[in-house]
Amino acid sequence: MADKRVLIVDDEIHIVHVVAIKLRNNGYEVISADNGAEAFDLALRDKPNIIVTDFQMPVMTGLELVEKLRQNEETKNIPVIMLTARSFAIPQEQQENLQISGCLSKPFSPKELLGNIEDILYQKELVTDN
Amino acid sequence: MRLGRSLYLIVTLVVACCMFIATLAVGQNSGTAEGVLHAGYVLPVCSVFVAVGVILLGWSWLRLAGAVTSIAMLIKDDRANAIGRGKGFFAYLRKTKVDELCKAINEYFNDSAARTAEYDKQIKDFQVQIQLSHKREKNAEAIIYSIRDAVIVVDEYDRLLMANEAAGRLFKFDFKKSQHRPLTELIGADHGEFAGFLSHSRKSKSQATRREIEFLEEGDRKTFDCIVSCVYDQSRQVCGIVAVLHDVTREKQIQQMKNDFVSHVSHELKTPLASITAYSEMLVDGEANDEQTKKEFYSVIQNQAKRLNRLIEDILNTSRIESGLIKVNKEPVSLTMLIEEQLQMIKGCAEEKNIEIIGQKLIVFDQVYVDKDMMSQVIINLLSNAVKYTRSGGTIRIATEVDEAASLARVIVTDTGVGIPEDEIEHVFDKFYRVGANEKQAKGTGLGLNLVKQMVETVHGGRVFVTSKVGEGSTFGFEVPLARRQSAGIV
Repeated sequence: MADKRVLIVDDEIHIVHVVAIKLRNNGYEVISADNGAEAFDLALRDKPNIIVTDFQMPVMTGLELVEKLRQNEETKNIPVIMLTARSFAIPQEQQENLQISGCLSKPFSPKELLGNIEDILYQKELVTDN
Repeated sequence: MRLGRSLYLIVTLVVACCMFIATLAVGQNSGTAEGVLHAGYVLPVCSVFVAVGVILLGWSWLRLAGAVTSIAMLIKDDRANAIGRGKGFFAYLRKTKVDELCKAINEYFNDSAARTAEYDKQIKDFQVQIQLSHKREKNAEAIIYSIRDAVIVVDEYDRLLMANEAAGRLFKFDFKKSQHRPLTELIGADHGEFAGFLSHSRKSKSQATRREIEFLEEGDRKTFDCIVSCVYDQSRQVCGIVAVLHDVTREKQIQQMKNDFVSHVSHELKTPLASITAYSEMLVDGEANDEQTKKEFYSVIQNQAKRLNRLIEDILNTSRIESGLIKVNKEPVSLTMLIEEQLQMIKGCAEEKNIEIIGQKLIVFDQVYVDKDMMSQVIINLLSNAVKYTRSGGTIRIATEVDEAASLARVIVTDTGVGIPEDEIEHVFDKFYRVGANEKQAKGTGLGLNLVKQMVETVHGGRVFVTSKVGEGSTFGFEVPLARRQSAGIV
């Protein structure tokens, strides 16, 4: 399971906690951060397979984090799932430009999030194998 | 005239008699038979003939003069009945030529009089119409000038026909000096979008088109709702354009504030809801493996539900206070006790961020006459705000002061947080306002401090205050009247 490391980024400690339990119960290794800047440092250091990040956070927002990840050679290919509690969705074009793999609106189902993570990692594995 | 004629006849007869007598006298003086004969017969007869001739000539002249005078009188007095008197040659003349002439003249005058009357009527009508038109024009001008929106009227060549004061102010021109000048010269290059919009509307001949255009006015960006309508002539050609520019800057700002509010509130509501949903799903799915975890999950759900309720109450209270519908239950309350309760509530959050909260020393009498729930909310809002904007390792102090002389109790919350820029301090109590520089520091709706102000000042007649320095921290506080010992039943 060493290749299934997930970085969870949210300033809401309860959300990080519940998602971490769900993923750990399903065999994932979980690391966490409560803002974008800290998450970027962790991404560089620990090279997670996938990042689940909140949209609105202090210090550095989710979008700013993704932009920074895409600019770095070591992190540019890490898939990202965005969690958002905003009243409007992130435009499809912006999602494609930033290679955001998926968006989930809060409140979300941990089960659904797990399903999304598995799908994305499976597709990534297929691409890598080919 | 008759007197003239009679006088003339008398004078003529006198002259004839004088001539006859003179002739007789000449004949007698000659002393010859022939002279007598001449004097007695020839000369008197000749004199008589001459006199009669002179009389007839004079008479005819008088009649002719009378006829001419009559015609003149007829023309002058326009009295056709004056013609027809008299007999003979002149009467014939009058009855034929003069009558025809008079008739023609009469008809001419009759026609002329009728036409003149008609022309008079038309002139009066035109005058009335001109007056009405002038009045309508004045009314229209008065309406246009009284409108607060900028109104501009141009002709088919984009030359300025009319503009009110608002338009003059917006485009910085004086209408009286600018009439009939091309609009593009008057409004300048800064308003090229507006000029282009006018041009486009004229070309498309559209009856009314609408566009929001931004203008830079004294350094401020302002938004105007521009409605441009073409004016058509009888052949449906565009003969002018009317443009009305309504300043919607304030409406746009309010709309933006509403959008921001909805976005913030939505985020704030969804965040605890997300925790409740996720934790309850985990419990239902059996993901909490032991009793300790289950208990922890229940606790999170309960706390997040309370958080959600507080947020909804904040929103509702703001609305209730503004509309004057809030129910207030004032009673004597100890501020120290209230603060102690709220400190217990905020303790967990402060510890999570490694922030130390230092409470006050006990004050003997700090009873205030307030609504307990509201005052609790005021205190918790100030404390949670301090926790939000204080970095890990910081300190928050809360203290009360009693000013017996002013009969006031004062609560002061001081933090070592990020501080507020000087130009933003005056706005921190505004509804939905969030300090731009600190927006990323913490989430919020911009309602908390506004609610503090409303509850302290509007509901309790107190006062809120704030001082701050960027990088060093802020001090928020409020004053409320002390409870009177007698009325509060405290001795």
